[in-house]
Amino acid sequence: MSEKPNSEHILIIDDEESIRDGCKQALERFGFHVLSASDGQEGIRIARELHPAIAFVDLKMPSVSGMEVIEILSKDIEDIVLIVITGYASILSAVESLKKGAYDYIPKPFTPDQLRAVARRALEHRNLKIEAKKLKEEKEQIERNFITFVSHEMRSPLATIQQYMEALRVVSGDCLGTEAFDIVERCTKRIQNLEALVEHWLDLSRIENGTFAVDREPVDLHSVVEKAVDEMSHLCQIRGISVITNFPDVQPKIEGDKESLIRVLINIIGNATKYTPSGGTISIGISYDDHYVKLSVKDTGSGIPKEKLPFIFEPFYRAGGKEERQRGSGLGLTFCKRIMEAHGGAISVNSEEGRGTTFILTFPR
Amino acid sequence: MATEIKKKVLLVDDDKDFLTATKLILEKGGYEVALAEDGKAGVEMAEKEKPDLAIIDMMMETWGEGFSVISKIRGLETGKKMPLIVLSSVDLQGPYQSFEPSEEFPKVNMILQKPVKAEDLLKFIRDLTT
Repeated sequence: MSEKPNSEHILIIDDEESIRDGCKQALERFGFHVLSASDGQEGIRIARELHPAIAFVDLKMPSVSGMEVIEILSKDIEDIVLIVITGYASILSAVESLKKGAYDYIPKPFTPDQLRAVARRALEHRNLKIEAKKLKEEKEQIERNFITFVSHEMRSPLATIQQYMEALRVVSGDCLGTEAFDIVERCTKRIQNLEALVEHWLDLSRIENGTFAVDREPVDLHSVVEKAVDEMSHLCQIRGISVITNFPDVQPKIEGDKESLIRVLINIIGNATKYTPSGGTISIGISYDDHYVKLSVKDTGSGIPKEKLPFIFEPFYRAGGKEERQRGSGLGLTFCKRIMEAHGGAISVNSEEGRGTTFILTFPR
Repeated sequence: MATEIKKKVLLVDDDKDFLTATKLILEKGGYEVALAEDGKAGVEMAEKEKPDLAIIDMMMETWGEGFSVISKIRGLETGKKMPLIVLSSVDLQGPYQSFEPSEEFPKVNMILQKPVKAEDLLKFIRDLTT
């Protein structure tokens, strides 16, 4: 074994002095550092103080029983490996103790070799457990770092390129011919899209690793709609699309995260503006029954072909095909779906080609 | 006086390209520009060059260097009333990284997200220096 066993303590809790001494001798000869306690109370005290790697616990002791000691130690002492010392007659209670958190048992009488073998196995188990825990923590750390990495290392250069574009426009804008100016405009647009992609991708990673804030507080959907419509009104105006809202008199509140829901709605309205021709309408309505509150966003756009409907919430799926490449991150609806799921709700879609599309957000009441 | 004295803006950012791009915009806008590529140089120049305004990147080298630069500039005699704009490539005021300066945090005049539109930047600087 590569680890130095003598750097860790083994605790023997047994009321029989001969067992304690026997174990101590057998294990010390192998290089372990052995502590001993003659009853449960003392054993728990020593374990809490010195955090042994392994504790051998006699099941049958006066006052505090071995079973109780097992229960307490497995709860209190991180990574401790517990082994029950038991008589042949009490194999059943040994099994019971495994349920309470013991890792193994050793029946009396046992030889020093048997004891050492059990101790070694217990240490190996402990090392594996600690290793696995470390790996898991590392993995989580990498995930968190990745998000930070993307935030900084990908956004910064994008921002810098955009700043150069701004500088180019300011410094030489007047000297550029229409064609060259057009190129600058197109580059800017593409970079903005790339930025949006990074942004959406970050949002999805945050949802996946649980760092995306989904607060749960009573939310008034009415105000969510108003905020989102307000945000999108300028774009709708430019595109010549009117927005109609239709709310019931009574507003049932839902539980959720207002900011995320506003973003969901902005995404859906944004989508609608892409596929709705000038002169069209986007209608937003709220309805409810005893169990659900529904928010619908209906457009008079080109609609989505039936065969494509099942895929539109998939990442990077584009119902519009290749021409749509330049128009968004391809993650907007995936984001909406994840946010709705985080709310215990759902998003669904109905569409008829040439007539329009309706997205429905369903929230439990 | 034949020409008006140009106002001076200090830019502190560890991204050289961002400095260059912003410098071009500011010079076109009629400002004299001083550049610092790290926090330490930034604080020194804030003292020596006495700029009329400073723009500081929040995320230099380590997250938080911007914070300490701002505190140090505010601690200078020349920096007490200097208009300060904080820049960041993260949306510091968005709902997910909401940046709430603590009570004892030295006051900055404006927080902007990179990239900044040239006309906006020039307008903000004009507003803050007149």
